[in-house]
Amino acid sequence: MAELTIALPVKRARRRDWTPELLSLPALIAILAVMGFPLVYLGWMSLQRWALVGFEPPRFVGAGNFLQLAQDERFIDAIGRTFWFTALGLVTNLPLGLAIALLMHERFPGRNICRGLLILPMVATPAAMGLVWVIMLDPTLGVVRYLLGEFGIANPPLWLSDPDLVVPTLVAVDAWMWTPMVALICIAGLAALPTEPFEAAIVDGASALQRFRYLTLPMMLPTLMVAAMLRLMDLLKLIDIVYVMTGGGPGHSSETVNLYNYLAALSYDKVGYGAAIALVLFLIVVACTLALVKMRRPSW
Amino acid sequence: MVNRFKRKRLGFAAAGWLVTFAMMTPFLWMVLGSFKSTVDFLAFPPVFVFRPTLGNYRQVLADNAFVQYTLNSTIVAAGATCIGLVLGIPAAYALARYRRTAIGVVLLLARMAPGIAFLIPLFVMFLELHLVGSYTSLIASHLIFTLPLTVWMMVGFIEAVPVEVEKAALIDGCSLAGVLVRIIVPLTTQGIAATAILAFIASWNNFLFALVLANDRTKTLPVAVLGYIGYNSIQWGALMAAATLITLPVLVLALCVQRYIVRGLVAGAVSG
Repeated sequence: MAELTIALPVKRARRRDWTPELLSLPALIAILAVMGFPLVYLGWMSLQRWALVGFEPPRFVGAGNFLQLAQDERFIDAIGRTFWFTALGLVTNLPLGLAIALLMHERFPGRNICRGLLILPMVATPAAMGLVWVIMLDPTLGVVRYLLGEFGIANPPLWLSDPDLVVPTLVAVDAWMWTPMVALICIAGLAALPTEPFEAAIVDGASALQRFRYLTLPMMLPTLMVAAMLRLMDLLKLIDIVYVMTGGGPGHSSETVNLYNYLAALSYDKVGYGAAIALVLFLIVVACTLALVKMRRPSW
Repeated sequence: MVNRFKRKRLGFAAAGWLVTFAMMTPFLWMVLGSFKSTVDFLAFPPVFVFRPTLGNYRQVLADNAFVQYTLNSTIVAAGATCIGLVLGIPAAYALARYRRTAIGVVLLLARMAPGIAFLIPLFVMFLELHLVGSYTSLIASHLIFTLPLTVWMMVGFIEAVPVEVEKAALIDGCSLAGVLVRIIVPLTTQGIAATAILAFIASWNNFLFALVLANDRTKTLPVAVLGYIGYNSIQWGALMAAATLITLPVLVLALCVQRYIVRGLVAGAVSG
C-alpha cells in the first residue's frame, strides 16, 4: 500500500507531457506543408533540367545547374549588383536612421505625431508606392525635376533610365521606405539607454559631439546591429520595387539576383535552373547574416 | 537660459517636422495627383492648385475588374490572417508556456529565406494539384509569412498574461483547451487584434506571390496596379487614384497598431 502511494506520483512525473507538441502540431504541419516540404523539393529541383510550359520533363543533371551558374555572366553580374544595392542601402539607412532617431528622441511639440507618421512609408503597399515614385521621378513631368529646378539644378539626370544612376535611385526609394524602420528601432534603443553616464558626462563638461562619439554610439551598437541585420536580409532579397519600377532595366543594369531568379524560373521556364539560383540566394542571405552576427562579438 | 532652451526646442521641432513632412511628400503627391485631370497632370511646372476632379476615382471604381481585385485582396488577406491566427495562437501558447525553442529557428529561417525559394516549388506543386490561380494557393502561400508573424507576436502577448490565472483555472478542473479559449484568448484580445492587423497588412501588400500564383481573375491589388502602366502610356490620374485606394486602408490600419509595427516587421514579411 505504502509502495503504491509513493510510486504513483513518480510514475506520473516520468510520463511525458505531450501538450505543447499537440498544441503546436497544426502550426507545425502547416509550416512543413508550405515551407519545409517546398524547401526539400527545391533541393531536388535544383538538380534537374526542367521546363514546365515547354513540356520538358525533369531530367537529372546533378550539379549541372550550379556549374552553369558559375559561368552565367548575367547571374554573376546580378550578384555583384545585389551586393552593391545592399552596401549602398546599409550605408545610407543606418546613419540616416540613427540621425532621425536622435532628432525624434528630443522633446519638441508634436513629437509623438511625427513618430507615428514615421511608420507610414514602411507599411504602404510597395508596388503602389514604387509606381508613385516612377511618376514623381519622371524626367520630363516629374515633381522631382521641378523641385530640383527650384534649387537651381536645371538639367537633372534621367534617374531610372540612366544605367549608372538606376541603382542609387532605387536605393533611395528603398531608403524612403525602410529608413524609418531603422529610426524606430533606434528610438526604442535610445529610450532604453541609462541616463547616468550622460549626466556624468555633462557634469564633466563633455561636448554634445563627445557624448555622441563616446557614449551614444558605443551603447547603441547592439541596436544598430539588429537594424543592420534586418536591412541586410531584406536588401539581399530586393525585388518588389525593382520589378515594378524598372523591371531590371535599362538593359540589365538594375537586375538583382532575386529578380533574375524570378525571370529565369518563371518567365524563361527554366525551373530547375531557377531552383539552383534560389538555393544560392538563400545561402548568400544565411552566410551574410551569420557573418554580421559574428561581427557583433568583440574581437578581443 | 530659459530662452536658450526654448530656442533649442523650437529648432528641434522645426527639424523634426521638416523631416516628417519630407517623408510624407510621396503620399501627399499621390493623393493630390489622384484628383488631377489629365491636363493638370501633364502640366510642367506641376500645378499645386487646380480644380479637383473625381474623374480618376470614377474611372477606377467603374472598372469591374478593380472591384474584383479588391475583393480578391480582401479574401486572400482575411483568409491568410484567420488561418494564421487559428494555427498560430495554440502554437504561441505552447511556446510561451513550455519554451520549446525549435520554432524560433524555423522563424529565423523563414525570415532569411527568399520568397522565391518557396515560390518555385509551390508553383510546381500547385500546378500538379490544378490549384494555380485559386484562392487556396494564394492563401496557403501567404501562410509562409502570416503564420510565423502570428506566432512571434502572440508569444509576446501570451507571456504577459500572469501564469497564476491559468494555474487557478487548471486546479479548478478546466482543461488546457478551456484555458486557451476561456483565459488566454479573452485576456489577449488586444494583442490578437494587433497581430491580425499586421498579418492582414503583410498579406495585402504582398506582390511576388500573387504575381506568380494568381491568374487574371484572382489577381490581387498590388499586381493589378501594374496594369495602369503600359509600355507607351501611363494612365497618370487613374494610377494615382488606384494607388491611393490601395494604400489608404493600410495606412489607417497601421496607425491603429503603430506601437507594434516594428515588432511585427522584425518577424516580418517575406518581402521578396
